[in-house]
Amino acid sequence: MNTMLLEPREFRLLDGLRINPRKSFGGKVRGERLTKKKGVSIEFADYREYAEGDDLRHLDWNVLARLDSPVMRTYRDEEDLAVHILLDGSASMSFGEPSKFESAQRFACAIGYVALNGGDGVIPRILGTREPNQPTLRGRANYPRLAGWTTQARDIESAKDGLSTSLRTFVASSVRTGVCFLLSDGLDPDLPMAIRILAGRGHEVMLLQILSDIEIDPDLEGDLRLVDSETGKVTEITANSFALKEYRRRLQEHNRSLVEALTRVGGRYALVSTDQSVDAVLKNVWKREGWVK
Amino acid sequence: MTFQNPGALVWFLPLAGIVILLYLLKMKRRNLSVPATFLWPDHVEEIRANALFQKLRPTWLLFLQLLAILVVLLAIAKPQTKQQGLAGDVTVFVLDTSASMSAIDVKPSRFAEARRLVTDSIRSAKPSDRIAIIEAGPTPRVISPLSSDPARELSALETVQPTDADAPVGEALRLAAALVGGIEGARIVLLSDGDFDNVANFSRGKAAFVYRCIGEMDDNLSVSALGTTDTPTGRQLYCGIKNNSSKPNAGTLSLYADGKVIDSVKSPKIGPNAQWGRTVSAPIAARVFEAKLDAPDFLKSDNYAVCLTDPNASLHVLLVTKGNLFLERALALDPRVSLDKATEVPVTELAGSGTGQYDIVVFDGIPERAVKARGVLTFGSVGPSSPVIANGTVSNPRFVSAETKPLLANVDFGPVFIDHQVSITPKVSGEVLAQTSAGPLVVTSQDSGKRQIFVAFEPLQSDFPLQVGFPIFVANALDFLAGGVTSSTLVVKTGQPFSLPITTEARLTLPSGETVNLKPTGSNLVVRETRNVGVYILESEGKKRTIYATLKSDRASNIRPEKNLDLGGGQVKASLAPMRFADFWRPLAALCILILCGEWWLFARKS
Repeated sequence: MNTMLLEPREFRLLDGLRINPRKSFGGKVRGERLTKKKGVSIEFADYREYAEGDDLRHLDWNVLARLDSPVMRTYRDEEDLAVHILLDGSASMSFGEPSKFESAQRFACAIGYVALNGGDGVIPRILGTREPNQPTLRGRANYPRLAGWTTQARDIESAKDGLSTSLRTFVASSVRTGVCFLLSDGLDPDLPMAIRILAGRGHEVMLLQILSDIEIDPDLEGDLRLVDSETGKVTEITANSFALKEYRRRLQEHNRSLVEALTRVGGRYALVSTDQSVDAVLKNVWKREGWVK
Repeated sequence: MTFQNPGALVWFLPLAGIVILLYLLKMKRRNLSVPATFLWPDHVEEIRANALFQKLRPTWLLFLQLLAILVVLLAIAKPQTKQQGLAGDVTVFVLDTSASMSAIDVKPSRFAEARRLVTDSIRSAKPSDRIAIIEAGPTPRVISPLSSDPARELSALETVQPTDADAPVGEALRLAAALVGGIEGARIVLLSDGDFDNVANFSRGKAAFVYRCIGEMDDNLSVSALGTTDTPTGRQLYCGIKNNSSKPNAGTLSLYADGKVIDSVKSPKIGPNAQWGRTVSAPIAARVFEAKLDAPDFLKSDNYAVCLTDPNASLHVLLVTKGNLFLERALALDPRVSLDKATEVPVTELAGSGTGQYDIVVFDGIPERAVKARGVLTFGSVGPSSPVIANGTVSNPRFVSAETKPLLANVDFGPVFIDHQVSITPKVSGEVLAQTSAGPLVVTSQDSGKRQIFVAFEPLQSDFPLQVGFPIFVANALDFLAGGVTSSTLVVKTGQPFSLPITTEARLTLPSGETVNLKPTGSNLVVRETRNVGVYILESEGKKRTIYATLKSDRASNIRPEKNLDLGGGQVKASLAPMRFADFWRPLAALCILILCGEWWLFARKS
């Protein structure tokens, strides 16, 4: 596997793009993202009267010459944006060809690259497996680190926690509010509730649901004993047209509940299959729906 | 509903147990790891099994299979239902077409009602039912053999028409018994009014007998007698009317002489089973007298009678015998003959003063005696008045020769086997017409207006009655004894076949105007078509004969429906709608197939 995960062509496509959140978040350090706060940048904000002690560099000398009144120019402040990349590492992500986890890795790298390139703080986190928290990454120079973290060997098939449990743990960890990119198959009946809790803490949630073709349109037959890869729960079925029809109906219903939950909290949702490329997702989802600009 | 084989139902429990046991077998399923199971319905169909054991889960497949077993066992148990209907699995309908069946007390007529019942039975018969139809007319015949072809049976039924004749229903029943008497569960259905002679020597065999009586009332007047008699005051025509019903009735009687009305009178009320007579002077020159009765009764065919005054138009024959059916039949074939039987000659007919009642006397093995009749035919027993003298008896005589005379025309004694004959010597007036090795065989004599024929053997001591020449010889003998003159008008009884000495094809015009071409057999023409009352015209050899067919039968005129029949020594009661057992297994088999189709569809849908 390419250690950078993305092809040079894809890097070129991602260059110049920035994460486009709907909400505005307070930054922790100075960055490249304008905030509502006044600060130091090249982006003009307003005029105000001079006060003693003000930095004379921002005094508008032209106004002083014409009106003989000291007026200060103010500028908008620029801070960074916290971009949480939540990579679902639960056991269910190991299915598909290529696996859903591999797809999620590539999309995580792509969105991380965009965020790093835009001067945002990228906080990667794996859900499902218990790993120490990663430090916030800033600047394009940190992309190899991000890619290295993404591609490090993990045994996700033996992941202990489910998706919703991991999200609740994430919420409880008092992280900085920002944009949460959730890269997951979303196959957890409690996920809508977890999304609401996540949004309730001030995060803007963007869910990229990744499913394999066989999950979207399963082709099973015969008498089967289905074993849940995460919970180990067993369900006996006779895979006939009846059962398949019912599966599709339930999947649609589940996805609709995800969309409803995200719509309600101002989040974003997109469903992609594992065989879709980064540039296709960039063109058809992220750019078209304004995830990035 | 009953079951022919109820024991089959016992198998339900073991068979159902086996099926349930199969459902207790557990399906060994293939393990498959999936991302999430909450999307899959927790829904299993128990359609296969390959491991032991599991808790029984009720499914539609199990229910349908148990239902199919139950239905199959019910079918094997052969359920039967009782249904009303004339037809059974194998049925012979005997349809009475005698004169009384033309009575119109049942609308439109008894015969039409009988035919409707047969038609309905054929149409409602099951495809596997076999049906035959026999017409009980003057000559019983099978008009449709046993078959399962309703179209052919209905077509054959259409050809049956009512007659104005007596019908030997007993013979028709015997024919039916011969047809299905050996078939278990077969049914002989007689549709009749029961107005026929008691039937002796009838055995229905294994078949059931069903009698459906058709007819409601018995109102009927009939012309019971019509004749002429010569008296010192002139010729008198007498006519009798009989009330055959159980209540008084009256009618208008019209008498005709050569087609002209000579008398018309309304009768008084005639009591039940009583007669009323009318005598009028008849024109001496008239040859044909007719009586027509107009009465409010239900049978019209017996309201007409004819009598002829031509002496050659009728022959009164007395057969003196101990019993000879062959001879009786042969004599009855002649349309002129009205036959009486006796074992000895009545005293009034012995030679003496006055005229006798009979034109011809036939002695069959009875010693010949001198009689008043103008003709005598004697078989095998010589008497004082015989034209021969007896010399003893000779066994196994061999035919030698025969003269070419009208009496022996188309008669061949060559192949006739004679067990023994009387050795005879003809008297002076006797003329030998045939000879055997034992001497003369047939001798005739004509003396002072009296004609005699002597045959030297008794018919029953030979196989002569079985030969074709026998009825021809009898017909020739009647012609010889009658004087060789035949009349151009005849009166016959309806339904009675008769023969005439005609050798060419003839054309018969029926009362309805239809014509029938008849071909002779040898030197005789047998006419069987006079089944209805009326006037028939027979044209042959350039001659035209008028034949009057009348129904003169007290039996036929009595149209009271008989609810009980005396049949073969036992009483049979009429039944309106006999019951039959109808098998019910076919619908069950069809239902089973439907259930199995449904079960297979369900299985395929769930697989």
